[in-house]
Amino acid sequence: MKPTVHRWAGAIASALSLSALLAGGAVAAEPLKIGYVIPLSGSAAAASGQEMSRGTHLAVKHINAAGGVAALGGRPLALVEVDSRGDPKVGITETERLITVEKVPVMIGAFQSSVTFPATAVAEKYEIPWIVDLSAKADITERGFKYVFRPTQIPSSGNADSVVDFVAWAGKRSGSMARTAAIVFENTDWGQDLAQRMRARLKELSIEIVLDEAYPPNAPDLRPLVLKLKGRAPDVISVTSYTADAIQIYKLIEQMQVDAVAVIGSGAGQVDPSFINAVGKRGVDLSFTTNGWAGYESAITTPFAKRFWDDYVAEYKSEPSEFSVVSYSVVWLLKDALERAGKDDPKAIRDALAATRMEGNEVTKLLGYDVVFDAKGQNVKKRFVVQQIADGKYHAVWPESVASPNYKMVWPEPAWSARK
Amino acid sequence: MSTTTILLQALLNGVASGSIYALIALGLSLQFGVMKIINFAHGSLLMIGMYLAVWATRVLGVHVLVMIPIVTVVLFVIGFFIQRWLIEPIYRKEATREPLGVLIFTTGLWIFLDNMMLILAGPDYQSLSGPWANQVVIFGNLIFSYPQIAAFVIATLVSGALVLTLRSTRIGRIIRATGQDREAASVLGIDSAKIYQLSFALGLTPLGVAGCLLLPLYPVNPFVGDVFGLRAFVVVVLGGMGSIGGAFWGGILVGIMESVGAQLMPVLVTEALIFAVFLAVLYVRPAGLFGLEHE
Repeated sequence: MKPTVHRWAGAIASALSLSALLAGGAVAAEPLKIGYVIPLSGSAAAASGQEMSRGTHLAVKHINAAGGVAALGGRPLALVEVDSRGDPKVGITETERLITVEKVPVMIGAFQSSVTFPATAVAEKYEIPWIVDLSAKADITERGFKYVFRPTQIPSSGNADSVVDFVAWAGKRSGSMARTAAIVFENTDWGQDLAQRMRARLKELSIEIVLDEAYPPNAPDLRPLVLKLKGRAPDVISVTSYTADAIQIYKLIEQMQVDAVAVIGSGAGQVDPSFINAVGKRGVDLSFTTNGWAGYESAITTPFAKRFWDDYVAEYKSEPSEFSVVSYSVVWLLKDALERAGKDDPKAIRDALAATRMEGNEVTKLLGYDVVFDAKGQNVKKRFVVQQIADGKYHAVWPESVASPNYKMVWPEPAWSARK
Repeated sequence: MSTTTILLQALLNGVASGSIYALIALGLSLQFGVMKIINFAHGSLLMIGMYLAVWATRVLGVHVLVMIPIVTVVLFVIGFFIQRWLIEPIYRKEATREPLGVLIFTTGLWIFLDNMMLILAGPDYQSLSGPWANQVVIFGNLIFSYPQIAAFVIATLVSGALVLTLRSTRIGRIIRATGQDREAASVLGIDSAKIYQLSFALGLTPLGVAGCLLLPLYPVNPFVGDVFGLRAFVVVVLGGMGSIGGAFWGGILVGIMESVGAQLMPVLVTEALIFAVFLAVLYVRPAGLFGLEHE
């Protein structure tokens, strides 16, 4: 598998730099180990986990190529990556092992809230800082922990807020406010959290909820659900799904010609790199999705971002998405903290992370938001954008500050009978 | 759309989706009927079939419907060798008792195949999005996609052909005889090892059809089999373990319950209802709704 290859490549690269240093007579800089827990197999989340892993590996490669951590005498970074298999038990035991056996001074991971939540408790016990990548469970930063930081994600309520705020904004802008909405969501913690917030916020806008329906994730047949959707004919359809379900729902919306003012996804399945191709361009055209990341046109504006994009595409033959952008940025964020910490002591790294103030630099331009932690370790600047898919590409349309400069939003979506 | 139209559409959608469940369940039921094993790798072999269809379509560039016989034949060959090389030796070792080892083996095979495909094909979802797959036929207010119609027609034909083969041909009678009493069949000169190879391989062939028909709507990834494997198991038990006709009607029944039920109650309740019926049938009529008491 890919990650193994990279581990080898990393080992060889560090061995080479090591021997170069030895030849120069300098003291060899031993790599600084980073514990990394991520799902690489075992469940459907492995797809996203592998993508995140790619971004992480690329960042380590770029940082090491540029001379490692300067404040630590040019020490390179070395990932100690373990596959969580999406299993909380594996996450816990591997975290324990990374900290006590591998002696890593800092951890990154673990994509799924179900793994991150218990694993961060282990790290907290050992006082090892943990940078949470994309786990959205609100409670992760609500336990009074001192060693947990979440720079690149907010609880899913923030995602729901973006959907509703966008609907209100688009309604006002076009002069025709949506009157009815349908909420379709997978029956998991994540789906439930989002739906709950959305219900409350839609009520504030006096939008009537005509269908409020949870479905079991990875359902074999969602046609009955989409038929129900068609029968209720809502103005706005909110779809909170992972990839397989999202692909099925959007194909069925097209096939069964379910017309709506707007179909708005919650940026999980809808931003998976295989989503557009799997549904087909026509089926996703002009639908909306929230996204943790604004996309190429809005974010790839600096040489730093351009190098990330080009090298990623060259290495993995697919385009980066929020997953890889976040995982790439998180390592740079850690590097920033290491430079300020000046030593590899977990406590010093923790204090440096807590004092992070990243504003308007190349990393935050790639992410699309600044990074400043509150006392709980939550980045208060993170937010979701809304994109519209057109001609197979994502275009940021809201908020206006990150809207793609070359794209004009289409609202309402045209009826299926009027599409080519 | 009126409520009646929705319900009618739901009913017919249910029949179409149920046809695919039936196809998946047919093979499971056949293998159980003859060999008395539950093949837990059934879903994973469906997944393999779906990947074969995706790859072959990319390489050969042929229509999904042309793919069906190709994938079917390949799965038949795979099934033959799984039985010949992997399952048969376990049978030989455990000749004197229930083939528990085979049960455990197929569970291992399931996990192995899923992870093997994760390495070979990667975790991404892959799909076949031909123009055919998205085409629909509209009757008044009712909409049907081509794959839905094909699923119903082909499932009916395949089930019918299997039932006829088992009932009225010599080889069918040999297969049934082996299923009823392996020892007695051996005494009559039937080579049960050969019949098992044939039955296991035959059991995988409907997966080729189901895989090709699912693909336009359902993207394949290495874990797709888990979803359908479980569903097929429910269908087989509902219909009657070992009964081919039962698997067909069981599939249609589950499809209809799922589709019509969802219009009348929350989707989650429908899902629970299917399993409630499953449990009730196991309790009240263990031979299944459509199975015979002695088959």
